Amino acid sequence: MRVTQSMEQAQFLTALNQLESSISTTQDGISSGLAFTTASQNPVGAGLVAGYNQVLAQSQQYTSNGNSATGSLNTEDSALTQLQNQLQSLRDLALEANNATESPADLSAIATQVQQIQGSILSIANTQDGEGNYIFAGYSTQTQPFSQSATGATYGGDQGQRRVQIGAGQTVVVGDNGDLVFNQAKTGNGTFNVTPAGTNTGTGILGATAVTDPAAYTGGTYSIEFTAPDAYQVTNSGGTVVTSGTYISGQAITFAGMQVTLSGAPATGDSFAVAPSTDQSVFATVQNLANALQQSTATPAAQAQLNNSIVAAINGIDQALDNTQTVQSTVGARLNTITTSQAVATTQQTQLQQSISNIQGLDYASAVTNLDSQSTTLSAAMEAYTQTEGLSLFKYLQG
Amino acid sequence: MSSIFGIDLSALQAFQQAIEVTSNNVANASTPGYDEESIELETALPQDAGGFAIGSGVGVAGVQRAYSQAAATQLNTSQSTLGQLTALQNYTSQIDNLFGTTAGGLTTALQTYYSGWSAVADDPTSSSAREALLGDASALAANLNSTSSQLQEMNSDVNTRITADVNQINSISTQISSLNTQIEQRTGSGQAPNQLLDQRDELVSNLSQLAGVTTTSNSDGSINVYLGNGQPLVLDQNTYQLSTVPNEFNASQLEVASTASDGASISSSITSGDLGGLLSARTQSIDPALNQLGQIATAVAQSANTQQGSGLDLNGQLGSALFSVGAPVATSSSANTDATTASVTISNIGALTSDNYLLSYKGGTYTLTDATTGANVALTGAGTSTSPLTASSVGLSIVLSGTPASGDQFLVQPTAQAAGTIGVALTDPSGLAAAGAIQTSAADSNTGSATISGGTVLDAANPALLDTTTIQFLTPTTYSVNGAGSFAYTSGGNVDLNGWQVKIAGTPAAGDTFTVQSNAGGTGDNTNALAAANQQTTGVLSNGTISVSGAVGALISGAGAQAQQVNTAQTAQTAVNTQAQTNVQSVSGVNLDEEAANLMQWQQAYQASAQALSVANGLFTTFLDSINGTFS
Repeated sequence: MRVTQSMEQAQFLTALNQLESSISTTQDGISSGLAFTTASQNPVGAGLVAGYNQVLAQSQQYTSNGNSATGSLNTEDSALTQLQNQLQSLRDLALEANNATESPADLSAIATQVQQIQGSILSIANTQDGEGNYIFAGYSTQTQPFSQSATGATYGGDQGQRRVQIGAGQTVVVGDNGDLVFNQAKTGNGTFNVTPAGTNTGTGILGATAVTDPAAYTGGTYSIEFTAPDAYQVTNSGGTVVTSGTYISGQAITFAGMQVTLSGAPATGDSFAVAPSTDQSVFATVQNLANALQQSTATPAAQAQLNNSIVAAINGIDQALDNTQTVQSTVGARLNTITTSQAVATTQQTQLQQSISNIQGLDYASAVTNLDSQSTTLSAAMEAYTQTEGLSLFKYLQG
Repeated sequence: MSSIFGIDLSALQAFQQAIEVTSNNVANASTPGYDEESIELETALPQDAGGFAIGSGVGVAGVQRAYSQAAATQLNTSQSTLGQLTALQNYTSQIDNLFGTTAGGLTTALQTYYSGWSAVADDPTSSSAREALLGDASALAANLNSTSSQLQEMNSDVNTRITADVNQINSISTQISSLNTQIEQRTGSGQAPNQLLDQRDELVSNLSQLAGVTTTSNSDGSINVYLGNGQPLVLDQNTYQLSTVPNEFNASQLEVASTASDGASISSSITSGDLGGLLSARTQSIDPALNQLGQIATAVAQSANTQQGSGLDLNGQLGSALFSVGAPVATSSSANTDATTASVTISNIGALTSDNYLLSYKGGTYTLTDATTGANVALTGAGTSTSPLTASSVGLSIVLSGTPASGDQFLVQPTAQAAGTIGVALTDPSGLAAAGAIQTSAADSNTGSATISGGTVLDAANPALLDTTTIQFLTPTTYSVNGAGSFAYTSGGNVDLNGWQVKIAGTPAAGDTFTVQSNAGGTGDNTNALAAANQQTTGVLSNGTISVSGAVGALISGAGAQAQQVNTAQTAQTAVNTQAQTNVQSVSGVNLDEEAANLMQWQQAYQASAQALSVANGLFTTFLDSINGTFS
């Protein structure tokens, strides 16, 4: 083939451009540490990396959400522990007051302590987190949820439960509303509640209560009435006598799957109402106890009333403790969930980073080798060009 | 004796001319389009020497240029294809570089924006988190605006270059026609106008880089030049000028027209050369990228605004739109004979595509075709405001201001403007609707075990959405709403009312009540913010199968794949073109060594002829000397 000088030059320039452009791309890679910096260098890889980066960033966001949720739950957990301590102290005080030897002055002193504890529980219920949000207010985090009232405390929050996303499609509840924590302890034994009538004149005192036959328990309301100091009858809400018998102090009365133990000496006409448990505020329980402790205990009947009030209060405190423990165990379970999902997220993040690095990370060894061979080719091309360019017949025509 | 002088003289003249041709070759060794020339010598007519003939010297028969029509045509075709790919590559790699591996930072901006919602969800009452989210939203909008404006810049660059190409094509056409005239004259007078032919061939070659052309030769030496599709540019001495005209639907985009087409656009038939590359860059790269970006912007804005409307802000109001975004555009063709306009709304973001659509009205029937694929799109409705034309398969709803004239056309661009126009409409951080619209509660006095779910908003536009509603169980299996009616209860069943939906499950007791009410005051609620943060991965596009992030990933890979494909094609075509150039050079190029050898050959021949002349002179002198002795 016939070769001309301008062909040689054009071909040399084309080769030079290509080589320099390859060297520039390789250099870009080495200085950025990336195998490709535009999508055209690896369209499929670029799409994958964009996807991985998004999942990675989201996973990191979930981890951060989890940390924030852990903070909130820890705050709640410690508030619940304090609440249990206070309830335990309250229970101790109630047991102390239940002793018939306590003088009115002692009882009054106990009442003062009870009121102090009530104040403490109120302040626990109004706990705020670092940002000033009330943690037991449901969604109404800017509203103080509990305020003191004559019958205990009123709840101004709502029943909302805030959730935080800790994984793809996985959310965790980060708070419990005050209604659930403080207002939903059951009365009585948690299933049914026995209340002495306010008009009782005897000294009948409520003892242990239990459901002995869950199959027979239907949840209706009943009344235990004393037709004589040693005889009782149990009627249902329709006035029908369910059972009757001879009263012996301390011996259980059994009906409709329930067992109620009364002690002391009830008077004829005294009655005890039996009804399914309802929700009662912790504050009401405490307030009732404080109120009862300040009543006169001059007569045996009044003493019996106090004792019955204290029994009701202890029942209420036990249920509140139960409720608090239930809430606290769900808090613990949520913390576990967060820990688990954060561990999963960490593994996932490591894998994603690995995948991204596999696709987009530069293999330095081969990049440097490439650069080396490209530079060698370039200098060889230059050398070859200058050599052939120097070859011209005209050189020999001189002179 | 005198014939010796004649022969030598003719030889000296011929070799002098041969040296001139060689020198001219050397002088033009680097001139583009120059074809190597060679002198053709012939024997002069012999003289009769009585019974035998003696040659009478040498004559110049002509000067030929080394030219191969086949090689030149091959090169021109190759240059047209290369020109098209190079122009296209210019834009595909600009887009590729603009997008990089993050769609120009869009992936980061989107991620930051959704993380902003997550931060608000973590602490819904924090004003700093809310301020930050508004900032993130602005940054996202600014990113889309800036990417869109850079793509728009590319479109105006395309316009500038189309105008420049058209001017250059016109100038070259004029030069070719004037060369045609000169060549005809020279050809008529019997001279070979090599230099003019070289010039004309070079012009055709230049033209082929701008737009694919074909040529035909006429017997008088002139040529005709046609654009690829047969549109004439030069016919003998006449030229047909090209011009730029605005696109019939979009005045900001220039199309190519010709006096031969009476000013109608011939863009669709220009597929090669620089001009073809510019036109295809616009329709295949820049506009689709803008549309896809717009589709993403529309999806982000619409889903955020819908979510805002389903929740309550810090003031207890249903959230107002977070983003403002340009609506779909419908432009009437400049050829329409009726002033009817069309307005388009997006009826279903899930069905929305990034394609443009052509709405035509003919013989009382509307037809909608996909401007990219040409596929027909099913339409229902009459095009009036009460019965809009609905293209449910592509999520569009079209209302016309009247009845268009038969044959009128409208171009519907659902997403072209969105990326350029998206902005943040909300200025007050407390206006971010982080809280759900409703809250539910169970009465403390409930004795049953039934629970109520948090509730979701189905229809934020329901005027009674925020009204307080009490659901009271009359029996464990029936309930009343606000004290009225008796509805059957199924555990776990949905209760849909006033635009919300709640789920009650478990065993209620008679008298149990549940309340659904406005969440005003529930400032610590993050239900809505969580839902907004989740939109990042929620399938919004393609009927819920592709998330916003997925669409961005597809945009990056799509642009990258196109750039890669064009790069590969361009590299391959460069090799083809180099080969074609080599072929032409091989035939027509000047080899300096060859010229040096020729020069030596002609020099020696010249010297020999001169020597022959000297010998003749010697002979003559000898003869004279001998005579001189005789006559002195």
